[in-house]
Amino acid sequence: MGLLRYTLWRLAQAIPVLIGIITITFFLANQIPGDPVEIMLGPSPAQEQVEAIRARYGLDRPAYERFLNYLSGVATGDLGQSIYYDRPVLEMILLRLPVTLYLTVSAFVFAIATAIPLGVISAKRRNKPADHVSRIVSLVGVSTPSFWIGLMLIIVFAFYLGWFPARGLPLPWEAPGDIRGAETQFEVLRTSLHHLAMPMIALGTLQMAQITRIERSSMVESLQGEYVKLARAYGVPESTIVRKHAFQVAQLPVITIIGLGLSTALGGAVLTETVFEIQGMGRLIITAINNQDYELIMGTTFMFGVAFVVGVIITDVAYAYIDPRVAYGDE
Amino acid sequence: MATGTEPQTGASPTKDDESGAGEVEARVGLRYTLRQVKRDTTARIGIYTVGFVTLVAVLASLDYYVFDYGIAEAIWYSPVQDPEQVRRLLPPVGMENQYGQGTLEHPMGTDHRGRDILGRLFYGTRIAITVGFMATVIGLVGGTLIGAVSGYYGGWIDDVLQRVTETIYAIPFLVLVIAFMTAFGRDLSFAMIGVGITSVPVFNRLIRSRVVSVREEDYIEAARAAGVKDRNIILRHVIPNSFAPVLVQATLQIGVSILIVAGLSFLGFGAQPPTPSWGQMLSASRNYMLPAPTFSLFPGIAILITVIGFNILGDGLQDALDPRINN
Repeated sequence: MGLLRYTLWRLAQAIPVLIGIITITFFLANQIPGDPVEIMLGPSPAQEQVEAIRARYGLDRPAYERFLNYLSGVATGDLGQSIYYDRPVLEMILLRLPVTLYLTVSAFVFAIATAIPLGVISAKRRNKPADHVSRIVSLVGVSTPSFWIGLMLIIVFAFYLGWFPARGLPLPWEAPGDIRGAETQFEVLRTSLHHLAMPMIALGTLQMAQITRIERSSMVESLQGEYVKLARAYGVPESTIVRKHAFQVAQLPVITIIGLGLSTALGGAVLTETVFEIQGMGRLIITAINNQDYELIMGTTFMFGVAFVVGVIITDVAYAYIDPRVAYGDE
Repeated sequence: MATGTEPQTGASPTKDDESGAGEVEARVGLRYTLRQVKRDTTARIGIYTVGFVTLVAVLASLDYYVFDYGIAEAIWYSPVQDPEQVRRLLPPVGMENQYGQGTLEHPMGTDHRGRDILGRLFYGTRIAITVGFMATVIGLVGGTLIGAVSGYYGGWIDDVLQRVTETIYAIPFLVLVIAFMTAFGRDLSFAMIGVGITSVPVFNRLIRSRVVSVREEDYIEAARAAGVKDRNIILRHVIPNSFAPVLVQATLQIGVSILIVAGLSFLGFGAQPPTPSWGQMLSASRNYMLPAPTFSLFPGIAILITVIGFNILGDGLQDALDPRINN
């Protein structure tokens, strides 16, 4: 039961943070100069028209009242109305969020799948050529802007070699008829993965580099542990020691860094979506800002916060699952 | 985490394995640190890279504020805006594209308005370094104050301050800065402040944990018993004792800030045209990736070299300041 209670406790802890996020976003949105009504109706609209719109969107009421309204709205799943799209904010978010999650989660899968072997090899052959190569790769990885990697990938693999498409990201579960050239669900999946490859690498490289660094130092430390010495003394083969004894213990710091990397990755998604013209949450927030769509700005910012908080909780629970001391220690 | 070559730092004469890293550092001081950094080959590369980029930034600022583009004009930056003479999207020297042949006059070619790319990179350094540095200073000062007060007093002050910084941390920072700049202004000064605010939680956490451990030290007790004011204890004793990890973090944070600011400029938040910034150059280059791919290449390399410099230097400092890490 420890794990379930721990999960619930972490979820409960997230509530004040979420209220805090709403407060910050509401405060920021309130500071935005300019009048959304003007943007919607053009330069010199009729007075009655303006007032009608203001009343409809609640813009005529004082700030604290709007804040409380907004807060109770969020609690009941109502994030307001997007002035620009003329649709509920939540509807827009639910349309776009899967794209961003698909991209971000894939980027992490790519990052973890490349970083863990790199880090382990690096730690096993400390100060040998393989280690130097892996460390240089991760140093360059943490120092390169993700959007520039995207541009370079497009130039080389889309424009010159023509291997991958340069824009868009269809979801693998979209209906076959909706995507050009995809007759069956399997072809949809293939098209989707084909589009996914470059943005995934662009977004995942930074995470890959960070995880490699942590994996390496964590493995180095773990390989020096007493239990490893003991296993060696018993004559356990080195490959078994690395695979069974040292590896599992070394994954705890890696999980932590994945949770923290989520913030960078979700922010990076805004850039990656811009480079590859992907219609996800990142493009949504930029569109919202460019059109001064208050409630959409608040809604998307809030949702980015929610995505991060939920991601951190998932990694925390994963951590507690692997290391049960965490869950029991907090009771 | 360490990137440096390892043996020298491990053999420091004053090393004391039983005490924390900060205490080791506190005893040996800044001069020792610098000596350690200089002995480390990788860290030296970091120092040289950062030194070079900073020098370029200083030159570009001098040129901008004092010489009115005199230096650049003398070398390569031709301010001629005569539409007849402008040669757009030229390739680098020695290459050829549909717009013509690259010449030595524009070693890295020209952009979509016929401006020299090397010259624009030169001025972009000024923006990158200034904003990266200032954002880090803002985060450092804010985070240090909050972390120190929070850790020193504990109790409800600690709770309130920590919940607030946690909340700031809970919004992905690029999104937070975008929202912040939308609210207050899209220009460079707000980019600095915004990026600075997002790094407050980083320094806060670092300082707070140090302060909590230092708070119980004998010399702090002694200072308190001697009637030294709390504020002075924090400023004169607690903060200086946390110098080592903060310096490492600040160096790395400059690199991170430069990356974020480049991303912001790429999205149109930050230096406004015609002020040259690397991110904005990359944003403009997106429309010409097929005919003039090198236009997208060079600004990215400039960012990469600069950020690598700070990262190597940060790692080198870490090795020098915390000898235990590499054993």
